[in-house]
Amino acid sequence: MVRLITHNLLACHAKGCTTNNFPLVFKDVQLEIRESEMNPEFLRNFYPKLEWDALVKTAEQLGDTSLPKTQPPIESVDEEFLKALHHVLLEIHVEEGAMTCPNCEHRYGIVSGIPNMLLAEHEVA
Amino acid sequence: MPALIPIEVPADASSYEASTVHEVYDAIAPHFSQTRYKPWPVISQFLSSLSAGSIGLDSGTGNGKYLPLPVERPGSVWTIGMDRSGELLKLARYAGSTSGSGSVVRREVVLGDALDVCWREGAFDYAISIATIHHLSTPERRRRAIKALLRSVSPSHGRVLIYVWAVDQDELSKRTIPETSTSDSSISKGRDALVPWVLSEQPGKKSEPSGSAKVYQRYYHFFESGELKELTCEAATELGLQIGPPPQDGEGNTRGVEIVQDSWERSNFYIELKLWEV
Repeated sequence: MVRLITHNLLACHAKGCTTNNFPLVFKDVQLEIRESEMNPEFLRNFYPKLEWDALVKTAEQLGDTSLPKTQPPIESVDEEFLKALHHVLLEIHVEEGAMTCPNCEHRYGIVSGIPNMLLAEHEVA
Repeated sequence: MPALIPIEVPADASSYEASTVHEVYDAIAPHFSQTRYKPWPVISQFLSSLSAGSIGLDSGTGNGKYLPLPVERPGSVWTIGMDRSGELLKLARYAGSTSGSGSVVRREVVLGDALDVCWREGAFDYAISIATIHHLSTPERRRRAIKALLRSVSPSHGRVLIYVWAVDQDELSKRTIPETSTSDSSISKGRDALVPWVLSEQPGKKSEPSGSAKVYQRYYHFFESGELKELTCEAATELGLQIGPPPQDGEGNTRGVEIVQDSWERSNFYIELKLWEV
C-alpha cells in the first residue's frame, strides 16, 4: 500500500538526483479510504519525525485539507488532532497511479497498492 | 533433500541474481510463504525492544512475517517491508491477518532493491535485513547492501539487525554445505551454492509419487565465521563511520557504529548495530 506514512519517507534515488528529490508527487491516483485502529502512543512519538510540509502538501493534493500548514507543537496536540493525523497518515490508501520526482521527473508506478521503486542498473545513483 | 550444488558466480552478478533469486521467489512465493510463518526469537526480541513511535525498514521482507511485530503491542511501531519479489509482496501486504475471520490488517510494502536507498537518508529508527544479503552474489554487492541499511537509519540513534545463513549448519538443519570449487580460499570467503526448492505442481492436491515436482535453484552465499562482521566494518568505514562505542569525551562532529551483538544462532550468523553521533 502507499499510505502517506510511507510517502513521507520515500525519495527519488535516480542517478545524480540528490536535491529536491522529495516529496514525490502523486499522479493519476485511485484512492481507497479504509478505517483502521488508531494508536495514539505511536502517533505522538512518531510526530516529531514527520516532514510536515511534505505531508500537508501531499494530503492537499489528495483532497484532504484537515491539517494545519504549520506543525503545531507536540504539547498542543489533542485527541481530535491525532484523529485527523491518523486519517491522513494511515487511512488514505493510494491503490493505483504513480509518483514522480519533483527534480528529475522520474516516474515510479503504483500497482495494486505496491509502489515500484526499482530502477534499472544504469539509472541508480 | 537434494544435494546443494557448489557454483562459481558468473561475471554478470545482476542478471545472475535475477534468474537464481528474483525469478525463483516470484515462482515459489505462495509455497515458500507457507513455510515461513514463525518469527525467530532474536528478531522478535529486537522488535519488542523498540520504543513506541519507532519507524523501521524490513529490507528483504519476503512474505512480511516480521511486519506485525511486536505482537504484544501491535501498532506501536511501524515496519515498512521492501522486497525484490512482487509476488511475495502481494502476500506481505496482508501479513498477520487471520484468514477467514474477516479481520484484514494491511501492511506497507514497497517493491525495491536492498542495494539502493529509495528513502530520505537517515529517516528510519531501525532496519532489519533477515536472510536477504546472502542472496547477493559478490562481496561488493553484499557490502553495498549493508551500506544501504546504515544510510537508511538515523545517524544519531539508528539500530540495524542483519541475519545471514552460515557455512556451519546446526544438526537440526538438513543442509550440508559443499566445499567451494574456488581453489584459493584467501580470496573468497564463505561458500557459494545453489539451494534447491522443490515445488509440487499442484499444491493442495495429493502429489504424484514422482515426476510432478519442479525444482528451482536459488543462489546463496554461505557466510563463514567473522565474515559478516568484517563486511560490516568495511561498509561502515567506507561511510566514514568509526567502529566501536561512542567515545566518553567526544570531540564533536564524529559519527560511528557500535557492534551490539555479533553471534550465531541455528545455522545463521547475525549482527546488531547501533549508530551514534557526538
